[in-house]
Amino acid sequence: MNHGQQSGEAKHEDDAALTEFLASLMDYTPTIPDDLVEHYLAKSGFQCPDVRLIRLVAVATQKFVADVASDALQHCRARPAPVVKDKKQQKDKRLVLTMEDLSKALREYGVNVKHPEYFADSPSTGMDPATRDE
Amino acid sequence: MVLHAMLGELVSLNMSNGVGEGGRTFQGSDFAYVLARIAVAHICESVEVNVYQKGVRFSSFQESALDTLTGVAVQYIQSIGKAAQFYANVAGRVESNSLDIVQALTDLGSGSGVSDIECCCLGDSGIVKDVIRYTGEAEEVPFVYALPRFPISKVKRDSPSFSEVGAEPPYEHIPVWLPAFPETNVGTIEGNGPSLPSIQHSFNGGGLQVLKSPKSARYSTQGEEEMEGNPFLAAPLRFVENEVSPVFRLLELSNEVVGINHVPDKHTSNNNSHIPVLEASTPTDGINNKNKLSESEGGEKKPQQNLLCFKIGTLKRPSCLAIKGSVQGLRWFQEGEVKREKKSETEENGERFDLANLGPDVVI
Repeated sequence: MNHGQQSGEAKHEDDAALTEFLASLMDYTPTIPDDLVEHYLAKSGFQCPDVRLIRLVAVATQKFVADVASDALQHCRARPAPVVKDKKQQKDKRLVLTMEDLSKALREYGVNVKHPEYFADSPSTGMDPATRDE
Repeated sequence: MVLHAMLGELVSLNMSNGVGEGGRTFQGSDFAYVLARIAVAHICESVEVNVYQKGVRFSSFQESALDTLTGVAVQYIQSIGKAAQFYANVAGRVESNSLDIVQALTDLGSGSGVSDIECCCLGDSGIVKDVIRYTGEAEEVPFVYALPRFPISKVKRDSPSFSEVGAEPPYEHIPVWLPAFPETNVGTIEGNGPSLPSIQHSFNGGGLQVLKSPKSARYSTQGEEEMEGNPFLAAPLRFVENEVSPVFRLLELSNEVVGINHVPDKHTSNNNSHIPVLEASTPTDGINNKNKLSESEGGEKKPQQNLLCFKIGTLKRPSCLAIKGSVQGLRWFQEGEVKREKKSETEENGERFDLANLGPDVVI
């Protein structure tokens, strides 16, 4: 019983934390605009007139995207740097979000993205030139 | 994971179709999608990894990578919405609340691997804590553009009723409060050969003219037709009582099967008055049949479909060919008072064309 009461209190506290967070959400403007989130939620049948919930979803999505992006960034940095011709040259490469890094990052979240390596516009693309029928 | 099942399939589809062209869930030219792309780009730009006290960020993106990530984010939002609505419905509610959303987020596995089964309180779940932590840490990057409220719904303008327009309904069974009929603009009909009324006009003053030889008949009617102009714009002629009795005509028709040139004169006088009416009520395939008929060489064996048929909606052996049964085979949807005239003239015309067309086709 004590445990039940204790968990009950803990429940109230944590609910309060959630409530408080929702209230504070009105001060925080998510990067994804409310209208956009509401549009996509409406597309999937979500109905709610409360703006705070829309913002909650927006913040959650923003967090998700940020997590994926940061993982991709780490993959990008973790890749061995190209050969430095000049020793004086600083390791100051411009980081680009590539499909390769993104697919590695997304795989951890359960999304399989396979990007074709090259664009094949004819059946003989990528084949040995000697064996092509031309 | 649910996320894996839904997103993986969709993203692979996206890659195979190319972004924006597959007509799938997300389209490149979609307004919402473009906005989402901008938002995702903002978020990616603000992501920073601290290396040796120096923040390292993305400086640019690959386009396909950005599109992929946008698609994933959009799909994520939709998954949350779907799951949250599902939980609300299961609880017997129509509108979702915050707990539904938290449950949905937990289902999607966004809590960085937190799967505490014993956790009975959603507020205690890892995901909420993560989100709270994120809002505390991350910099706030508001969206740059001011958005209009979308999708924009068009105000539907009801079509005015008869009473509003001030027009009187053409028939008594139509009440005034119903919407008015649209204006019927009688456009010009391109003359692709002699049309029905022109051919009928040619019967004026004796069918002999037409029945001399089928070939010349066609060409003469063709010339006439072009000079007359658009027959549909011609003023309607008044109906004239047809004095010919059907029974008598039947006998004559059967006689005429044998002889081409035997023309019942009494029919010709009535043709003029009935031509516009006939033409107005003839279905389009009737007119087309006439056209084909006139354009084709006379006397040759033609397929059954080219022969005139005033019976609506059938492409079978035309009833006008069955001269014996022509009376009951013809149907019109005009009012009953005109029916008799129409029937009679249809029979006449049917018979005329049979005669003109005489050949192996007329075999009954």
